[in-house]
Amino acid sequence: MVAAAGDEAVRAGIEAAAPLVCTEITKVFGEDLAAAMALLDEGASRQVVQERTGCLIAVRDATFSVERGEIFVVMGLSGSGKSTLIRCLSRLIEPTSGTVEIDGTPIGDLDDEGLRELRRSRLSMVFQHFGLFPHRKVIDNVAFGLEIQGATKADRYERALQVLEVVGLRDWTDHFPQQLSGGMQQRVGLARALCVEPEILFFDEPFSALDPLIRRDMQDELLSLQASMRRTLVFITHDFHEALKLGDRIAIMKDGEFVQVGTPEQIVSAPADEYVREFTEDAPKTKVVTVGSVMRPLDGETPAGEPVGVGAVLDDVLPRLLASPEELCVADDQGRVVGTVDRDRVAALLDEGSRAGAPAGDRTVEPR
Amino acid sequence: MTTAAPSEASSTIEARLTLDRQRRMRSGGGLAIGVAVLVAVQIALSSLGGFPESLVIPLADWIDDARRWVINNQTSHWSFSFFFNPVSDMIDWGLRAVEWLLLWLPWYVVVGATAMVATSVLGLRAGLLAGAGVLYFGAIGLWTESLQTVALMAVAVAISVAIGVPVGIAAARYDRLQQALRPALDAMQTLPAFVYLIPVVLLFGVARVPAIIATVVYALPPVIRLTNLGIRTVPAATVEAAEMFGATPRQTLRKVQFPLALPSVLTGINQTIMMALSIVVIAALIGAGGLGQVVLVSLRGLFVGRALEAGLAIVVLAVIMDRVTHGAAGIGTRRRLRLMPDALAHVKPVRWVEGGLSSIDGGLSRAGSVLAIRMSRKLGVEALGRHPRKVLGGALLLVGTVVGAAIGRAEFPGAISFSFADRIDWLVDWVRDNLYEIGGTWFGTGWFSDSITIYAVTPLRELFSSDLAWPVVVLAVALASWRLGGPALAAFCTACAAGLGFLGMWTLSMDTFAQVIVAVAMAILCGIPLGVLAARSDRFERMLKPVLDFLQTIPSFVLLVPVIIMFNVGRIPGIIASVLYALPAATRLTNLGIRQVAGEATEASRAFGATRGQTLRKVQLPLAAPSIIAGINQTVMLVLAMVVIAGLVGGGGLGLETVKGLRRTDSVGSGFVAGMAIVLLAMLLDRMLQAWTRRFTPVEGGN
Repeated sequence: MVAAAGDEAVRAGIEAAAPLVCTEITKVFGEDLAAAMALLDEGASRQVVQERTGCLIAVRDATFSVERGEIFVVMGLSGSGKSTLIRCLSRLIEPTSGTVEIDGTPIGDLDDEGLRELRRSRLSMVFQHFGLFPHRKVIDNVAFGLEIQGATKADRYERALQVLEVVGLRDWTDHFPQQLSGGMQQRVGLARALCVEPEILFFDEPFSALDPLIRRDMQDELLSLQASMRRTLVFITHDFHEALKLGDRIAIMKDGEFVQVGTPEQIVSAPADEYVREFTEDAPKTKVVTVGSVMRPLDGETPAGEPVGVGAVLDDVLPRLLASPEELCVADDQGRVVGTVDRDRVAALLDEGSRAGAPAGDRTVEPR
Repeated sequence: MTTAAPSEASSTIEARLTLDRQRRMRSGGGLAIGVAVLVAVQIALSSLGGFPESLVIPLADWIDDARRWVINNQTSHWSFSFFFNPVSDMIDWGLRAVEWLLLWLPWYVVVGATAMVATSVLGLRAGLLAGAGVLYFGAIGLWTESLQTVALMAVAVAISVAIGVPVGIAAARYDRLQQALRPALDAMQTLPAFVYLIPVVLLFGVARVPAIIATVVYALPPVIRLTNLGIRTVPAATVEAAEMFGATPRQTLRKVQFPLALPSVLTGINQTIMMALSIVVIAALIGAGGLGQVVLVSLRGLFVGRALEAGLAIVVLAVIMDRVTHGAAGIGTRRRLRLMPDALAHVKPVRWVEGGLSSIDGGLSRAGSVLAIRMSRKLGVEALGRHPRKVLGGALLLVGTVVGAAIGRAEFPGAISFSFADRIDWLVDWVRDNLYEIGGTWFGTGWFSDSITIYAVTPLRELFSSDLAWPVVVLAVALASWRLGGPALAAFCTACAAGLGFLGMWTLSMDTFAQVIVAVAMAILCGIPLGVLAARSDRFERMLKPVLDFLQTIPSFVLLVPVIIMFNVGRIPGIIASVLYALPAATRLTNLGIRQVAGEATEASRAFGATRGQTLRKVQLPLAAPSIIAGINQTVMLVLAMVVIAGLVGGGGLGLETVKGLRRTDSVGSGFVAGMAIVLLAMLLDRMLQAWTRRFTPVEGGN
């Protein structure tokens, strides 16, 4: 889970080709939408809009793009608008304003037929409470997407069996969803989404209804699947740890707005405000923060010893740091030594996390 | 309260108590003022009495004119030649076809088919009972009449489903349609079945087709309602998932929503069938024929035994149809091949029998699968191979039909016959001789019905229809409805009450109303205590359940027959039958309401040391109040429906007037107006009771 693009120029380049680009998506629920939008343009707050127009701002000016092979996590508490946002991306909910482009096509312009075609061929979704069809056997659930596309029974069963093999449910094809455990049901949901070979997958809190241990298994499985299939994933969760574990980038959402967007490391080491800081407080920082962001840049002499990679997370180097008080040298991808790291620098970071409510301080992330 | 020391605390308590007292006095005061106003108006207008003739709108005459117009234009006007007549002809054709088919089939095929269907849905025991039930139709010599009723039902239910399911689907998709339909459906279910017959007679005349049309109109609401509900309760996530895969609305409906709504739709069809059956019987009044006709004619001639035989046939039909459709909806038990109750499973002979049965079943199944596989190959229909038993059964029935047609012995054999009508008639005589005045004393059923008549029904009727000036009654309705539901309700109810007078139905309405009040009082006095008992004892609930099920399954009209055995004809059997008919609603909802009270609340009350009586009075009954009031509401509506039907057996009132209108062409107008009065009375009572129900929320509790 190495951090994604860092360099602005590089990121701009990728965005041009990104399969999913969202620009200023806003969703307002209510009657008097025009008035609410006018107020929003003036910069009125969510409360003010609600008081004056009775309209609820579910999502406000969400702008982001997701590149191929990336897992983009939207994290927020209930009522933060994240479920509405993910539904706007496939127009299950019609956004009030803003554009969603999928492979360069603004989906807002599509008619019903075009939208159906898009959903059939390119998109898939995994639902919080699985959204399985209780009247269909596992295999018919998985094959549903192909059935809708008009595939023959033989074709869709063949493909469905392949996917069921992948998620380890080959032996359960003729059961009904209710006969399966929660974890297995969500595997069916996952298989159903994968069966149509979508380019973009939306996950709406898929694991939140599962037991913690099962949830961890599913997360690991999703990561390994993603490593091999390299799809474009948007993942909604209310669990910050899950966001850190899965996300290449994370958007923290509050009251319908993105508070911060960044790599897990950026968010953990430089929370944008108090709200984000509260989440990061008990976050497993040593699993997220890389050596590169705590090292002292090289000033003159090069220390001896086996170097550690600049992209390694602290967990990887802690044993060595604990074993000796010496500085370790840090090398970049080409093996050039670029800095040093020692116990004190790591301790300073961890210490800060344990001081509740401490201000962001002057420690900034080194741009890499 | 005694004056306490002027401490802060006691003065607040004093203040509170005073406030409480004042509030009670104010609400009592309102009542007192209302009563005083009514008394004053009564004294002022005491000479007025019943509704004056001069104010009556001559609606009946207009209707008669309309009827004459219909008769004169039936062959010429476009609305008849292009709409009503073709519709009527089509239904008639369908009915004849179904009837012809059923009567053409050899009787043993009908028995066998019923038994097989019931077995496959409910198990062997039910299958055999269903077969025996169909045999009963023939044995009492009502084979043709029974199948006529079945055909009538089949056509009516088919039309109801053909209209109801699509409308239900549309209502599920379009909120606006649902909103538009709701009040109509509510009203349709509020009105007594009876009322539907009259407008249909007006347009289509007296025959079987109008009977079917009235049945369809009456039986339509449940299937619309439950299709709509079933589709709407499909989880949103499931529908969203289908949409996310790019399913068209039609695909979503066909592959996801409708299959998931199917149990609900089938429940709706079950209810539709039961409602259809209850009106098909009454529809004998307008020439529907069949079993209802037999009951009706027998009752009119006071051949109570014959009426009971035919009535029992209707009950058998009702039970078979109810259980089979219930089972098909997946609500009942699964198919089982046991013949004896499980409790006897350890008895050796029972086990031998069961063992034999299951090996026979195994053999049949194997034979069936050989046949099924062959047929599926030959016909190229894959699905056939999966249902060996059904294929075998179908093949047997087909062979039976062919053989029957070949040897020409399709008629029900006279050799199978039995009758208990004589014994029932003897019983009726015996009851009259012995139970009216038991052992020559004053006590008996005669005393019972006389007392109710003399001390309750007659005084109430006199009170409403002549002792009280009509404006007093209308004003009382206005005040009560204002109190319950504010000005809008008061306006509606006052209009309904006054409408009874303007229609010229004041005296008859007050007669019916008096009967309703007496019957409701009796139903509540029996029903609620039974419900409380059922809620407190699981064993009693189990004992009561089959009785209540039975009472609810019997078509209202048939319920009159056994009551007449006990009480002869007149107003009282109508009232008793109404009580029996409405009892299940009051009992069920009381039981349900008390059982739904959270266990924690009851436990908390017990933890404070409350006795069972205290827990009941202070916790369970107040919390169950909404459910109990809903039960009372249903009770009133059921009683009204039944009291009206009781007009057939001397109940008098609006029911009798309506029946007259159905029977005699020259009084269609007054029959129609009486029907409208029933509608007004029903809506008046229903709205007031619903407002009353709304006032009870679990938080505020009851009294």
